[in-house]
Amino acid sequence: MADKQVPKTQKCIAVLWPSFMVAVVATGLFFSAFDPDDLFPFGEQAEVSRLGVYSIGFLLFWLVSAISGIGTLYFAITNCMRQNPGSRG
Amino acid sequence: MTNPDTTGPGGASRSDEQVAASLYAKAEKIYPRQVHGLFARLRVLGVLGLLGIYYITPWLRWDGHQALLLDLPARKFHIFFVTLWPQDFFYLAVLLIIAGLVLFFVTALAGRVWCGYACPQTVWTEAFLWIERKVEGNRMQQQKLDALPMSARKFRIKGTKHFLWLAFSVWTGFTFVGYFSPIDELGRNLLVFNIGPWETFWILFYGFATYGNAGFMREQVCKYMCPYARFQSAMFDKDTLVVSYIPNRGEPRGSRKRSVDPVAAGMGDCIDCTLCVQVCPTGIDIRDGLQYECIACSACIDACDDVMDKMGYDKGLIKYTTEHAMQGGTTHILRPRIIIYAVILLAIFAAFGYSFSQRISLGLDVIRDRNTLYRETSDGLIENVYILKVLNMDNAEHQYELSVSGIPGLTLHKDMAVIRVESGGIMELPVRLRADEADLEARSNDVVFELVATDDDSLAVSEDARFLGPR
Ligand code: SF4
Ligand code: SF4
Repeated sequence: MADKQVPKTQKCIAVLWPSFMVAVVATGLFFSAFDPDDLFPFGEQAEVSRLGVYSIGFLLFWLVSAISGIGTLYFAITNCMRQNPGSRG
Repeated sequence: MTNPDTTGPGGASRSDEQVAASLYAKAEKIYPRQVHGLFARLRVLGVLGLLGIYYITPWLRWDGHQALLLDLPARKFHIFFVTLWPQDFFYLAVLLIIAGLVLFFVTALAGRVWCGYACPQTVWTEAFLWIERKVEGNRMQQQKLDALPMSARKFRIKGTKHFLWLAFSVWTGFTFVGYFSPIDELGRNLLVFNIGPWETFWILFYGFATYGNAGFMREQVCKYMCPYARFQSAMFDKDTLVVSYIPNRGEPRGSRKRSVDPVAAGMGDCIDCTLCVQVCPTGIDIRDGLQYECIACSACIDACDDVMDKMGYDKGLIKYTTEHAMQGGTTHILRPRIIIYAVILLAIFAAFGYSFSQRISLGLDVIRDRNTLYRETSDGLIENVYILKVLNMDNAEHQYELSVSGIPGLTLHKDMAVIRVESGGIMELPVRLRADEADLEARSNDVVFELVATDDDSLAVSEDARFLGPR
């Protein structure tokens, strides 16, 4: 197991929490530049309120940055393992 | 929470598990003992004040609207007498930068006072601890209860606590959403269980975060998740106020009877009662020196002062002090770091104030018609079509005058005779510009639209656009 050293909870926090903060900032920047009503000029989002579009946007930003966080975590752990083969589990 | 995974699939040897356990010790539940004293009173004051502000603010009214409403659905922020638009995002960003700098400044001066008295994590944890004490009793009763096997009584007590915590959390989440979506409407909808799906989502999301952070994570948020806790040491210097134990005075520590004269017995003032450790919400021993876990809540000061009083010693074995003072020097309040922070802060604040006072409550957007680059009219002129968006961000209705310049003989044609926009309204205005081909200098020519309120010259904006022609 490559990641025996770090408890699961800490890994979850390490991925979810920074990406959450990034998502908040990204959502703020994105939606202050773009109005959901302009993004979907043909009313595709008619059933979803603006708040809904913001929320979905936020969740997507969170997802994307969390994926990047998983990548960072994975490489950090596996590289660390390669440098300290003794600690391999 | 940080339980190392010791039951994972096979392959991990015993020694690995020991390494894991020593690298990331299993977090013991901390039962902070309640303290009384000057700083405890200050903190209660801070907590009550901040919670009061948080829960009451969204219900305040101003001029017929919610006083503080970051109205995301309508894309405007009402902050008392100001209304901000997405165009004003810049001001919000600068405000955040100012807030950050104030935090730097205060940290350099007074250490982590933010953490100990004002951080939401501290404030809500205090509130949750209060509920916990009311339901489960003091530190010892809590520890005893946790050690017992599950019984009807334990279940009832725990159930009550979690019910109160959850109710408080949901109310917190509801209030949070009330900052973004009109709270009176939200309240009415809540009463009839008719809240929109996304409002519900955010109430539960924020409520759950409160429940988890203040009920369970507590000091671990400060230790593992808080970015400020990680970089605050960069703002510290030897003149920063910190909570510190005075080892010269306290050591050698040891328990003794009240009648024993410590000097004669060769002892320091610390009676090793460990009260300072028991009250610490982060579970550290301040006598080991300054540690990054210490949130400077000063609970240990109150606890130890009490002990010193009872022993008949001077207070202040643990106290607010600075590294310089501890080394016998003097503390410099005015030092380069402080002066630099203050100057930067003042400069940004002045620039913000000036730029905000110059803010024009009128917006103009020019969008070229995307379908045709240009077209030739029957009388041989070149015509470009635009859609103008006029946004009146002022608190009153206005009528505007539109003009355009940039090409000799350029003429402006619009269908609407008057441009009148209500307060907070947006008007879409299709316009056509016509020019003689002979007057065009290139394929693409710069033109400028200018919009002025007829009743107020200071309400004026201009916006650049391109005029395309055959050349
Ligand atoms: S509370 Fe004061 S006397 Fe008691 S152990 Fe802590 S430092 Fe020593
Ligand atoms: S060491 Fe003292 S000031 Fe620091 S967190 Fe613990 S009780 Fe609070």
